[in-house]
Amino acid sequence: MDTDQELVILALCCHYCAYAAADMAGSMRLQYPGSVRVLRFPCTSKIEVNYLLTAFERGIDGILVAGCLEGGCHFLEGNLRARRRVERAKKLLDEIGLGAGRLEMFNLSSAEGPRFAEIATEMHERVVELGPSPLRRGREAVLAGVAGMASLAEAVIAGEKT
Amino acid sequence: MIVADRKKIPEIRDMIQGHDRVLLVGCGTCVTVCLAGGEREVGIIGAALRMSLKLVGRGHVVVDQCTIERQCEDAFIDILAQRVSQYDAICSLGCGAGVQTLAERFPQKPVYPGLNTQFIGILESQGVWTEKCLGCGHCRLGEFAGVCPITRCAKRLLNGPCGGSREGKCEVNADTECAWQRIYDRAKALGTLDRLDAIAAPHDWSTGIEGGPRKVVREDQCIAGLGPKS
Amino acid sequence: MQASAAAARAMSLLAPARGTCIRTKVYPPQRDVTDEPPRIGVFICHCGSNIASVVDVEEVVRRTAVLPNVVLAEHNIYTCADDTQDTIKDKIGQYRLNRVIVASCTPRTHEAIFRDTLRDAGLNPYLLEMANIRDQCSWVHSAAPDSATRKAADLVRMAVGRAARLVPLTEDTVTVKGAALIIGGGVAGMTAALAMADQGFPVHLVEKSEALGGAARDLFRTLDGLDVQAFLAETIDRVIGHPRITVHLHSHVTQVEGHVGDFTSVITTGAKTRQVEHGVVVVATGAVEGKPTTFGYGQSPRVITQRDLSGQLARGELDLPKGATVAMLQCVEQRTADRPYCSRVCCTMAVQNALAVRERHPDARVVVLYRDMRTYGFREIAYKKARQAGVLFVRFDDDAPPGFSLGADGAIELTVRDAIVQRDLLMRPSVLVLAAPIVGQHDRQEVSDLLRIPINADGFFLEAHVKLRPVDFASEGLFLCGTAHAPKFLSETISQASAVAARAASILSRQTMPIGAQIARVDPDKCVSCMTCVHVCPYLAPIVGDDNKAQVQPTVCMGCGSCTSECPAKAITLHHYTDAQILGAIDRLLNAGPGPVGPGEGAYLEQVGVARPRWTEG
Ligand SMILES: Cc1cc2nc3c(=O)[nH]c(=O)nc-3n(C[C@H](O)[C@H](O)[C@H](O)COP(=O)(O)OP(=O)(O)OC[C@H]3O[C@@H](n4cnc5c(N)ncnc54)[C@H](O)[C@@H]3O)c2cc1C
Ligand code: SF4
Ligand code: SF4
Ligand code: SF4
Ligand code: SF4
Ligand code: FES
Repeated sequence: MDTDQELVILALCCHYCAYAAADMAGSMRLQYPGSVRVLRFPCTSKIEVNYLLTAFERGIDGILVAGCLEGGCHFLEGNLRARRRVERAKKLLDEIGLGAGRLEMFNLSSAEGPRFAEIATEMHERVVELGPSPLRRGREAVLAGVAGMASLAEAVIAGEKT
Repeated sequence: MIVADRKKIPEIRDMIQGHDRVLLVGCGTCVTVCLAGGEREVGIIGAALRMSLKLVGRGHVVVDQCTIERQCEDAFIDILAQRVSQYDAICSLGCGAGVQTLAERFPQKPVYPGLNTQFIGILESQGVWTEKCLGCGHCRLGEFAGVCPITRCAKRLLNGPCGGSREGKCEVNADTECAWQRIYDRAKALGTLDRLDAIAAPHDWSTGIEGGPRKVVREDQCIAGLGPKS
Repeated sequence: MQASAAAARAMSLLAPARGTCIRTKVYPPQRDVTDEPPRIGVFICHCGSNIASVVDVEEVVRRTAVLPNVVLAEHNIYTCADDTQDTIKDKIGQYRLNRVIVASCTPRTHEAIFRDTLRDAGLNPYLLEMANIRDQCSWVHSAAPDSATRKAADLVRMAVGRAARLVPLTEDTVTVKGAALIIGGGVAGMTAALAMADQGFPVHLVEKSEALGGAARDLFRTLDGLDVQAFLAETIDRVIGHPRITVHLHSHVTQVEGHVGDFTSVITTGAKTRQVEHGVVVVATGAVEGKPTTFGYGQSPRVITQRDLSGQLARGELDLPKGATVAMLQCVEQRTADRPYCSRVCCTMAVQNALAVRERHPDARVVVLYRDMRTYGFREIAYKKARQAGVLFVRFDDDAPPGFSLGADGAIELTVRDAIVQRDLLMRPSVLVLAAPIVGQHDRQEVSDLLRIPINADGFFLEAHVKLRPVDFASEGLFLCGTAHAPKFLSETISQASAVAARAASILSRQTMPIGAQIARVDPDKCVSCMTCVHVCPYLAPIVGDDNKAQVQPTVCMGCGSCTSECPAKAITLHHYTDAQILGAIDRLLNAGPGPVGPGEGAYLEQVGVARPRWTEG
C-alpha cells in the first residue's frame, strides 16, 4: 500500500481526445509527475458526480477531468455537460471544506501531447501545494489538522469571517 | 409535481449532530423527477456528508443510504422498518410530506429534512422549475384562460393586470412572466377575451392553507369501520 | 476527404468484384461465463525494452499475483507477438480464465487485436481489459523508474478492479437496405448520385425545383476555363439516363424514419406521395446567392452582383460606354458582425470577371475595392494576372466601408478611403458589381427538423467533426456535401460529393451491420419517466415507449453516457462502463475494494424492482 504515502491523482480522460493526447505525450517521451493515473471513459459525459465524490471519499488527492476542446467533443456536447457536472462537484467540495481546488476540468485536442503533460504537471503541483487528502485511510493525523481548517473554510463561505 | 432542492451539506451535518448512525432515505417519486432526492442525489449527498463529517472530526458517524418508492406511503416505508432499528436518526430526502410520514411511522427516531420543499410546479426547461399552483383549494383556472393569477401574479391580482406589466414581464421580478399578459394572450387566442370583462369575485381563502390545515375526505373510499378486518 | 473521394473512384471500377474476396473468419463458440466467479489472467508486457527498461516488470507481476480474483500473472517480451497470443489462448483454457488483462501499450491501437485473441479462445471480447503501462507510464516516467513501477502496479490494480466486473456483451446487427436517398439535385447531389449508382446502388434523387443543376445553372466558366454549362448538361443527361437513379423533381422529402442502414422515407411530389426504403441519406441542399440590401442593389439596373456580371459577360450582354469605369465591391454584407463568414468564391469571381471585362472592353477601367483578396491557392496566379492586366485594386479598412449614393439621374457615386495611401477616392462608375454572400437555403430549418441535423451559427449544416468526419453528420448514416455545408467552389463540391459516395458505400455495401454493444439501456422498473435522458441525449436516442417509460433506441445511441450520468433514478446503464466497473477501478486503486466479488455483486449492486428499497452502504 505504497499509495498511502504518495500523492495519487486520477486523470479521468475521454477516449477520443484526452486519452489520445496522453498517449501522444508518451510517444513524444514528455515527462510528467508519476502521481497521475489515467482512467479511460468513452467521453467525459460519462463521468458522474458520484464517481468524483466516491474517489475523494476513498482518499484520492486530486482529480483532473480531461476532455476534448469545447466544440470538439466526439459526442457533440458531452464535454460541456461534463463541465457543468464538475462545477457542481467543485461546489460540493467547497461546501464540505475539502476544497474545490482538488478537482479541475481541462480541454485539449488529441494532438496536444505537450498540453497533457502540462496539465498533469499543473495538477500535481497544485495538489502538492494543497497537501495530501486528509480522507485517505492511514492519514488520520492529517485529518485532525484539517478539521480546524474545515470549520474555518465554512465560516468564510457563510460570510462570517473573511 | 412537487419541486424541492437540496440543503447545503453543513446544514445537514449540523442537524444530525449527536447521532452516530444515520440513514439517508431518498424518495423515488416527485423528488426523483425534480432531481432533488432520488437514488442519484442520495448517493451524492451521502458521499458529501460522510466526507464532511470526517473533515470535522466526526468520521466515526455511519451514514448509509437507501431510496424507497414513495416516502408518503406506509407500505413502502414498512420495508425499511427492520433496518431502521440499526440507526439513531433518519435524514429524509423526500418532500415535507415524506419527512413527516417517516416521523409518524418511527416515533422513536429523530427524522430530519435533507431538502427544502419548494412548490407545486413544472420543469420549464432542463434544470429550471417554476411554480404553477398554490393549492388554494378552490381552483379558478376556468376564469383565467388556464393561467393561475393566484400563483403566478406576484400581487395575486384577480382583476389584473396592474400598472407594472412591462413587455410581458412582471415589475416585481423582470425574470418572471406577467401572469396577466399570459391570461390576456391566451384568452385572445381562444377568442374568450369577453370573459375577462366581468369583475372576478374575491377569492375565498378559507379553502386554502389560511383556513388551517386541510383534509380531503372521500366517503366512498373510507373503509375504516366498514369491513370485518377493522 | 480527398482520400475518400479517390476511394469512391476506385470503388466504382471495382464494383463488379465487390464481396468476392472476403473470407469470413470463424470463431469457436463463446464460453458462458455468467455463473463463474471472476478468474483473471494478467499478461504484463516488456514491449521489448520499451516498458521493461523503466518499469520493474517482475515486481509488477509480484504485486498483481496477490490481488483477489487474479489466478495468473505473468510477463512476456512482446505480448502482441503471434506466439505470445497463442500462449494466452492456451492459458485461457488451462487456467479457465474468464477475464484477461493485458498490461502493455495503448488500447487505442491494440484493444482490437487482443479482443480478437479472446474470441479465438472462445471468450467474449468484452472480457478484455488493458492497462496502459507504456505510453502512459514507462515512456513518460523514464527518469523515475521506482515511481513508474509503483504506478504501473497501480494501473494494473485498477484494471483488476474493473475486469472483475466486466460482463460479456453481444453486438446486434441490422439488415442494410442498399439504396441511397439524396436530397438536392445540384452538382453535389448529382455527383454523389452518379458515384453511388456507378458502384451499383439504387439512388433516389429528390429536387424541389423543376430542374436539376442548382446554383451551377447560373455559372458559365470556372477560373481554369471549364465550360460549366456543357459539364452540367452532360451530368444531367447521365443522371437522367442512369438505370439506377430515380429523379424526383418538384419534390420534397416529407418524412424520414429509422436509422443507419434501415430508413423508410416519404417523397412528396405535388399531391402524390411515395415511400422509399434506403440505408443512407445525403444532404446536398446547397445554398443561394444572398441578394444585397445595400449599395442600391435592386434600385438601379447598374448595380449588379458578380454572378449577374458573369452571366452578362457569357451572354455578351455587357454594354459599356467608352472609357467606362466598372467598380467591384468585395465582401458585401459578409465578414461583418452579423454574417462573420467569408463566401470563399467571390474574390476569385471578381478577378475572373475583371479579366474578362478588360479583355472585351480594353478601354474600360476596372477597380476592385477590397478588404483582403482571398484568391487562395493557385488562384493567386489569376490575381497577379489581373494586376498585370491593369485592374486596379484598392484596399479599404474594415471600419471604413465605402460611401455610396445614387443620383436622381441614376448616376452612381462611390467614395472610399484607400487604406494604403490614406486618401479619399471618389468615383462615378458606370456599373457597380457587388460580391454578394452565399447563404443557406431558406427552408434549411425544415430539413434540419426532418433529419434532426444541426445547423451552425452561419446557417449551414454542421458536420460531425471537421477533421475526423468531415462529410458525416454526427448521427450515423447521414452525410453532407456541397454548399449546404459551407460556401465552396464547384471543384470542392465535386470532390466532397465523391467522398460522400465512398463513405456511404462503406455502409451500403454490407448486408448487415453491427450495432455497437457499448450502448445505454434503461431499466424500465427503475425509470420514473422524468424525461431527463430525453432532454440530455445529444442524439435523441431515448424515447418514451408505449409503457410510458424511457427506452434507448439501440441503433441511435452512440454510447457517450450523458444520460447515464444524469438519470436521477439511476435507471440507465452504459454497457461496458457500468458503475460497478468504474467504481471497481477507483476502489482498487485506493485499496478500498469490497473484497472479491463477482459481476453485479457487492456494494454497488444494481437492484431491480421498484418497490424494493435500494441500499447503498457507505
Ligand atoms: C452566387 C454563387 C456564385 C458562385 N460562383 C462560383 C464560381 O464562380 N466558381 C465556382 O467554382 N463555384 C461557384 N459557386 C459555387 C458552386 O455553385 C457550388 O459549389 C455548387 O454549385 C454547389 O452545388 P450543390 O449541389 O452543393 O448546391 P446547389 O447547386 O445549390 O444545389 C442544391 C439543390 O438542392 C435543391 N434543394 C434545396 N433544398 C431542397 C430540399 N429541401 N428538397 C429538395 N431539394 C432541395 C435546390 O433546389 C438545388 O437544386 C458559386 C455559388 C453561388 C451561390
Ligand atoms: S414523499 Fe413527497 S416527494 Fe415523495 S412521493 Fe410523496 S409527495 Fe412525492
Ligand atoms: S387557482 Fe388555486 S388550485 Fe387552481 S392553480 Fe391556482 S392556486 Fe392552484
Ligand atoms: S432519466 Fe432515467 S428516470 Fe428519467 S426518463 Fe430517463 S430513464 Fe427514466
Ligand atoms: S449514451 Fe449518449 S447517445 Fe446513448 S442514449 Fe445516452 S446520451 Fe444518448
Ligand atoms: S469525446 Fe472527448 S469529451 Fe466527449
